[in-house]
Amino acid sequence: MTTTFIGVRHHSPACARLVADTIRALRPAHVLVEGPADMNDRVGELLLGHDLPVAVFSSYRDDDRQSGSWAPFCAYSPEWVALQEGHRAGARVRFIDLPSWDPALAERQNRYADAEQRYAEVVDRLCATFAVDNVDALWDHLFEIPPADGLAERLAAYFDLLRGETPVSDGDTGREAYMARWIRAAAADAGERPVVVVTGGFHRPALIRLTAGAAEDVGWPDVPALPEGAVGGSYLVPYSFRRLDAFDGYQSGMPSPEYYQQLWENGPRHAADQLVTAVVGRLRDRKQQASTSDLIAASASAAGLALVRGHQHPGRTDILDGLAGALVHDALDEPLPWATRGRLRAGTHPVVVEMVAALSGSRVGRLHPSTPLPPLVHDADADLEREGLNGDRTVTLALTTDDGLRRSRLLHRLRVLRIPGFTRRHGPRTGVDPVLDEHWDITDHEHRLVALIEAGAYGATLEEAAAAALAERIRDADVAALADALFDAALCGTVRLSGQVLRDLDAAVGGAADLGALGRLLAVVLTLWRHDRLLGTAGSEPLGAVITAAQRRALWLAEGVRGATIPAEPARIDAVVAVRDTMVHAGRRLGLDPLIPLEVMRRVAADVDAPPDLRGAAFGFAWAADAATADPETTGSPPDAVDAGGAGPADEAGGIGNADPADDPGVVGGVEAAGGAGGVDHAGGVHGAVRAVRGAAAPATVGDWLAGLFAVAREEVLHAPRVLDVLDDLVSGMGEAEFLIALPALRQAFTYFPPRERETVAGHLLARRGIGGPGRALLRPPAVDPVLIAAAKELEARVDAVLIREGLLA
Amino acid sequence: MSVANPANEAPQDGATVQRPPAEVRYADELARLRDTDTGERPPGWALSLTAARRFIVGDPSAGVSRKFVGDPSLIDRALVSLATSRGLMLVGEPGTAKSLLSELLAAAVSGDSTLTVQGGAATTEDQIKYSWNYALLVAEGPNQRSLVRAPLLRGMAEGKVVRFEEITRCPLEVQDCMLSPLSDRVLAIPELTGPDAMVFARDGFNVIATANTRDRGVNEMSAALKRRFNFETVFPIADFDTELALVEAEAGALLRRSGVTAAPRRDVLEVLVTTFRELRTGQSARGDTMERLSAVMSTAEAVSVAHAVGLRGWFLRREAGTAEDLVSCLAGTAAKDNSDDLAKLRRYLEQQLTWRGGAQWKALHAARHQLPG
Repeated sequence: MTTTFIGVRHHSPACARLVADTIRALRPAHVLVEGPADMNDRVGELLLGHDLPVAVFSSYRDDDRQSGSWAPFCAYSPEWVALQEGHRAGARVRFIDLPSWDPALAERQNRYADAEQRYAEVVDRLCATFAVDNVDALWDHLFEIPPADGLAERLAAYFDLLRGETPVSDGDTGREAYMARWIRAAAADAGERPVVVVTGGFHRPALIRLTAGAAEDVGWPDVPALPEGAVGGSYLVPYSFRRLDAFDGYQSGMPSPEYYQQLWENGPRHAADQLVTAVVGRLRDRKQQASTSDLIAASASAAGLALVRGHQHPGRTDILDGLAGALVHDALDEPLPWATRGRLRAGTHPVVVEMVAALSGSRVGRLHPSTPLPPLVHDADADLEREGLNGDRTVTLALTTDDGLRRSRLLHRLRVLRIPGFTRRHGPRTGVDPVLDEHWDITDHEHRLVALIEAGAYGATLEEAAAAALAERIRDADVAALADALFDAALCGTVRLSGQVLRDLDAAVGGAADLGALGRLLAVVLTLWRHDRLLGTAGSEPLGAVITAAQRRALWLAEGVRGATIPAEPARIDAVVAVRDTMVHAGRRLGLDPLIPLEVMRRVAADVDAPPDLRGAAFGFAWAADAATADPETTGSPPDAVDAGGAGPADEAGGIGNADPADDPGVVGGVEAAGGAGGVDHAGGVHGAVRAVRGAAAPATVGDWLAGLFAVAREEVLHAPRVLDVLDDLVSGMGEAEFLIALPALRQAFTYFPPRERETVAGHLLARRGIGGPGRALLRPPAVDPVLIAAAKELEARVDAVLIREGLLA
Repeated sequence: MSVANPANEAPQDGATVQRPPAEVRYADELARLRDTDTGERPPGWALSLTAARRFIVGDPSAGVSRKFVGDPSLIDRALVSLATSRGLMLVGEPGTAKSLLSELLAAAVSGDSTLTVQGGAATTEDQIKYSWNYALLVAEGPNQRSLVRAPLLRGMAEGKVVRFEEITRCPLEVQDCMLSPLSDRVLAIPELTGPDAMVFARDGFNVIATANTRDRGVNEMSAALKRRFNFETVFPIADFDTELALVEAEAGALLRRSGVTAAPRRDVLEVLVTTFRELRTGQSARGDTMERLSAVMSTAEAVSVAHAVGLRGWFLRREAGTAEDLVSCLAGTAAKDNSDDLAKLRRYLEQQLTWRGGAQWKALHAARHQLPG
């Protein structure tokens, strides 16, 4: 009885070759492979003759968590080769690892991610010893490029060193104990015939230790059954090189799959040539310069680098380094990706991006036609059948009924998964608009089945798959796309988002650069979080997290906008409004500190380099916050500030601006302390406002400043006639030229008041001048002779026609 | 930036040289590598490629110290470039140890790092190629005795590596005098006649130029010259612990030299290095992106700030520097005379510190008002 343990790195051609040679030589009774044991009854499906890469997708759902994970296989995966060769050699082939849903693997999306990455310290030490950049370069240097002599011993030595005394997690310990039980059983069953065990090299030393000596027959271990109430399963799905590539995906194994495919098929020399051809072809396709002399220089450098690094043939990084040296004639903004690992960073040199893409390849796997269809196909068919949504038709759904909502969610999930033939003609576009029904066009598209099979890689049911697809979208989204993705999630009824998605959301918001776009996101999400009973997102936790992150980021961005003379931007002002609404409606429930935004806004209001609209809005924010908590005794407003004609700021306590006080009363409570800390610059209340208005009175900027103020603190302005008086004096005091400069922006500013409030303002101005009567007359311009207007219009049209004819107007 | 701090040696005329060249500082290591070098040497090289690599990335088993903190692959590429017919252009932010790397490369390849042209607005061709001893020129006319050889001519004639520091600080026409030596490997001296009129480069000659990415656009290089160089970008140290250790060691040494006996506090240095790294990369530890400062936030600057912090603490209060000292010193480094940078720094201190734990972060936040302006 002999058991041969082969410790491999997942997706390593050198290991795959070793596995194939070993199995062919030994012709073992059993081949045991690290992989989900719940697939053992269906190993036959893997042997059907698929176009690689494919993956075993495992899904799991219970009341607490929902997860999906992949075990990808490509032609040079040692596990795949073990399956194929073991089968060919007549061995019994089995997977021996815990199912993917086991808690030991719960956080893993890719079963074949490198185990040693979880124990990085040893790897770092080894890289330093061999003076290489990272584990990929180390791996190529030690195993892929050198000749295969003594590979098994070298691998064993490497993994022994790597494992060493490293303490491992409980999850890994549990998996190793389980795998050891399979190995013992197989060894007992095989009698005198050999057994081959193919597992991640990191587990090999432990498995040898655990199986040493124990010879008694304990029988085959059971495959753990799904816990009570949980749903899950494993099945085959097509996979792609793009997802396999460490430069692109999460938790992937080796980078550059196309290169290793070539290495596997044709050896290092040919792979090197192929690599150069692919890179140059790609660059030339994209009209990037790659001259013959550059190529000569690249080959010379690659050969030189191979020499320095002691490689018989140039390896992956030798060639990449050589190409980068010859083709990049500028300073780089980001380090070369193969020197650092991980996903490509923004700002990577375009030539380098093309090089990485060429090595990644675009292969997409396809399942053999007789593979059982992924459960998603059946699930979708059954759902459509049940809801009566089959065949070509147009349907109208009322979202207010349970029936309509359920059907709408089904259709949205199909739409999110890009299954062709489901088009929404009409329906709510954001959470804000009061649209309560949807119209859909449904056609039985010829590509529906293919698309469903592909989408099967996302999950077993439409709900799961749509959630996974959305999670992927969120990972790649910028702020503008994020609002759409979140709204789609609401439409699909995906209320729960995984921890990873929440982290991605946080990262996307944390990386936002445009205050306006972020403000829109905040406004949409806040509305969904507050009101949306239709789609069931009101008060949802993920949205709350997004609100917290977006509010924080908006404050950061608000303080960074520079330009004392740049024109007003409504989106920017709206962002301040969104921050204000967040504090009012969600501040307490989400535990946001009211002092932080207040301090930021005070700094912005006082910053002479900030744009006037933003300063006005920031001032309005602080004013409204002060007013909300103000106590007439302590606001510090001198007596003359409180105009007899209007309500004092104290009347506003409990709400800011147009906020609904009932929603979250007193949320800005506590800002009073900050008011004190702010010092004399922030003299609160009306007095402060009067001074601020005077300070902002330059004709070129006053309108923008007021636009910001009115957008955020409309109510405060209306109830502070002294501010209106000052404004009136300022405008009256302007010369004609100044007034013309200020006019357009002033007009824009006053559009923030609805007509009724404009009338109040007008009435106040009339009263000030001792003229009675309603302000309405002031707002409505005197009637103009319609004939005159018609003549003017005709003249304009003629001028336009002439301009267009002469090519002066597009 | 040097990791090892070799003792100064080679006293000349009784006085200690402040900073001897690399081939003197590491003479033992070079000699040891030369003696045990079994690899094939490129023509004209003092060491084989592998030995030269070990000289820079270090080889503890042979008693060779690590002299450059950075990706080993960068050293490989640089050495291979020098062995080919293209020059080597090291580009990067100021303070990323480009000049040190160029010195080490020259010492490893030629055993001599002193053939150096310092580029600047006033650099002329004379200082690069050759000029004349005018007394001898008048007395004897142009000949080998009256010829004053500048680094390029010497490097070509002797087969050595020539270093050209800050090449983009030179006017374009001066830069272009490197074109024919780099491509044709020949330098004409039209004043001389006969075989002396042409100096052909001997094996071992090549050029290492350094350029600062902050100077981009000041004197942009011509495409013709760019083509004759392989570009290597030197990045700031990627690893936090490495950078922290380096700052601690270097700042400690500077402080001792300044007569400060209190070693810098590690928690203050952690805050300092983190701040520098975040302002340099434009990304906070939490993942938020920020605008990068336009000022240079290099490791070298971090060392000088750590030095200043230590001095302040010691000479004002007889203790190691604190986070408050850091705020005062940051303004001078990070903001300099740039009000935009000052605003960015203020915003960072206001908004990016509050969510962090740790006494020094809190102290830094509390001291934010000491930022001038």
